[in-house]
Amino acid sequence: MGIKKVGLNRNVKPQTLTEKLFFLDFMKGLKTTIKHLFRRVVTVDFPYEVTIPAIRFRGVHGLRNVDGTEPPDFDSWIKKLKIKPPEKGETRCIACKFCQAACPVPELFTIKAEKLKVPEDHPHHGLKVLAVFDMDLSKCMFCGLCTQACPTDCIIHTDVYDLSSYTRRSWVLHKEDLSRIADDFIARRGKEKFDDHSKWRKDQKIWPEYDYPRTKIWEGWMPSFLPNYKKSQSNGEAEN
Amino acid sequence: MSWISLDKAKGLESKFDYVKLEQSKTGIPYIEVPKEKLIEFLKFLKEDPNYSFKMFIDWTVIDHGQKENPRFQGVLILFSPDHQERVIIKSWATEEKLPSLIELWPGAKWAEREAWDMFGVRYEGHENLVRMFMWEGYPYHPLRKDFPIKGYEEVELPSLNEVERNDQLEGMFNYSRMHTALPTLEDLERTEKIRMPRKKAQVVLNWGPLHPGTHGTIWFLLDLDGEYVQQCDIIIGQLHRGVEKIAENIGYQQFIPYTDRMDYIASINENHAYVVAAEKMLGIHEKIPEKAKWIRTMMAELSRINSHLLWLGTYALDLGALTMFLYTFREREKIMDIFEGITGARFTINYFRIGGVYADLPYGALEAIEHFIEDFPQRLSDYETLLTRNRIWLKRNKDVCVLTQQDVYDYGLTGAVARASGVPYDLRKIDKYDAYGEVDFDIPIGEVGDSYDRYLVRIEEMRQSAKIVKQCINRLREFSEDDPYFFEPEDPKKLKISIDGRGLKLPEGEMYAGTDNPRGELGFYIYNKKAAIKPYRVRIRSGAFYNLQVFTKAIIGRPIADAITLLSTIDPVVGETDR
Repeated sequence: MGIKKVGLNRNVKPQTLTEKLFFLDFMKGLKTTIKHLFRRVVTVDFPYEVTIPAIRFRGVHGLRNVDGTEPPDFDSWIKKLKIKPPEKGETRCIACKFCQAACPVPELFTIKAEKLKVPEDHPHHGLKVLAVFDMDLSKCMFCGLCTQACPTDCIIHTDVYDLSSYTRRSWVLHKEDLSRIADDFIARRGKEKFDDHSKWRKDQKIWPEYDYPRTKIWEGWMPSFLPNYKKSQSNGEAEN
Repeated sequence: MSWISLDKAKGLESKFDYVKLEQSKTGIPYIEVPKEKLIEFLKFLKEDPNYSFKMFIDWTVIDHGQKENPRFQGVLILFSPDHQERVIIKSWATEEKLPSLIELWPGAKWAEREAWDMFGVRYEGHENLVRMFMWEGYPYHPLRKDFPIKGYEEVELPSLNEVERNDQLEGMFNYSRMHTALPTLEDLERTEKIRMPRKKAQVVLNWGPLHPGTHGTIWFLLDLDGEYVQQCDIIIGQLHRGVEKIAENIGYQQFIPYTDRMDYIASINENHAYVVAAEKMLGIHEKIPEKAKWIRTMMAELSRINSHLLWLGTYALDLGALTMFLYTFREREKIMDIFEGITGARFTINYFRIGGVYADLPYGALEAIEHFIEDFPQRLSDYETLLTRNRIWLKRNKDVCVLTQQDVYDYGLTGAVARASGVPYDLRKIDKYDAYGEVDFDIPIGEVGDSYDRYLVRIEEMRQSAKIVKQCINRLREFSEDDPYFFEPEDPKKLKISIDGRGLKLPEGEMYAGTDNPRGELGFYIYNKKAAIKPYRVRIRSGAFYNLQVFTKAIIGRPIADAITLLSTIDPVVGETDR
């Protein structure tokens, strides 16, 4: 069992008389401080300069609409739950309430589906549509379990993080708000996060490569975003 | 997890005729002792050289429901430093009473207060059995099974917006006028007075609950003779959220985000402890994919560095070294960036799952971690130049508040506090969970047990963590992208396990498992009467809680200025002490 003993006289030498007399401990400390005085600024000048959240960032939720990149079993889910087949631009939500079941605070969701009021001979007779989808974000922990439970990859996390508001009312997001947030996010960064079937891309990057303010803390350094594992490198890019 | 061997346990059974040895369904032996003989039996266990279970780990209660008689059962977990094994001892609390163990282990004092507060079990022989988290006069015992999870909403407390501005809030689904009970000022005064029934000196100084030096909402009562502390007690519970109660009412995977909010400084390590305990209960901990194990080890060690950096910054800040705070936060920010990229959150992370992790590493992750870890030892020696041999630092820390080996065993101290006192207690070496059995690192051990040693031990721990992370990076590079990062059961019908956690059932039985967190051993004791989607009882053995307890002893006879040094070197986080 590896044990390393630490302590004064063990791995730390006590102060010598010269050090005490000439205040050498303070001098050394000052040297460090002065060295740091000439380093680059590492802080981000917040309101004028913002870092872009990482692509996996768990921000405000969104509800994705049908846009042709649904997971392959989307149609079978619709049939199973007797939902009216959505057209392009309509929500993917099938009111299965899996998100609510996976949520650590289930009462933050209010999800309701209602039957379509159409005559009996209509092809959509007896089918349901999503009526209510409310999320009370004041109770949300942003843990991401709902997005992992969603069978149609409808509910997602976006990179929106400014949630502050003056009233309780504005913390409750309705399905229209959620759809709008998702549309906006998908238009901006959808390609970065999801593949053609709305699954997470395998080559997601740890940070967006265009995020200049973040490099300040790393003193100008940015990873080259190569694959992590050697075995995938051999059939792709060469190691440098 | 090394439990007491069956031979030894059987030896106990033959020696004492009242001892009953049983084995739970998850394979842990436990010993049942009638409460009248408990003290006698424990004295033997503690002092006999063949057993020498002298280290106190945990002492708690299970509520078996109103219909059972006796209703409550005490559960004691002990550790034997000589033989490196654990034992669980159970004793039924007939007439809702149990014998107090403070004669044997002074560390049982707070555990018994907590059990009294939460379950209403009385301890005979306890020196001052008052509430631990709730205030005096609170009428309920919230962890009893008949107490509803939402509590009793009996105080009307409308929003000021509604009262002053006539805002229409009634009927909104996130608003209610009624609240659960709140303490009044008189209640708080009673709470304060009952904690210290006999004053020893003239002045009782209240430090906290809202003081920047206490790093959270801790309320210290210091009975002062001049500048010297004669007596001390601590009132905690201002951040008590009933995490154990919540755990009993939600699924296993759903509980992980709540563990984030216990020790929020090192939330990955909190996830880790819970996940390891649940996996061991399922019996799948050995079968977790290698890749997930190495990722978890790496992330846990990064989180340890992160936590220790915050500790170092605030500790130095409290003792007057202002620059340290800025320097350590710069390094911390880099780790936070890495966490954000890999897990999606900077602070309350929820990355680990029972069965692995929820996603693979994104591109560039190992590169970024490597870049940080290459640079980090240099930064660490910068910090050391500023502090370690500085004469003010030495004066404020050397020989301040010495904790002896005996204290470690008596109070169940763990983590860096125990190691600084010369006890090489480290679950990473004892249990070898995840990939810790395969990495090479040293346990830093102090000699004196003073604040200076605790400082040196934590600094060295950061170095060792950096060493572990480096090994993890090298090992992880050898995997391939297609290797699994989440456990797949051989028979999905028998064991339903998924990343989102719906339908996960844990078997009947019990399990205690923990991990070595930056703040000591965080253990989860999970008890199930039958296989269920919700646990019957989850006990969280918080390292910070027991470490904080020793403050009341170590501060006695020291000047008031040392309180800050001692508190900083013990380094509790209120989210974990209060739970």
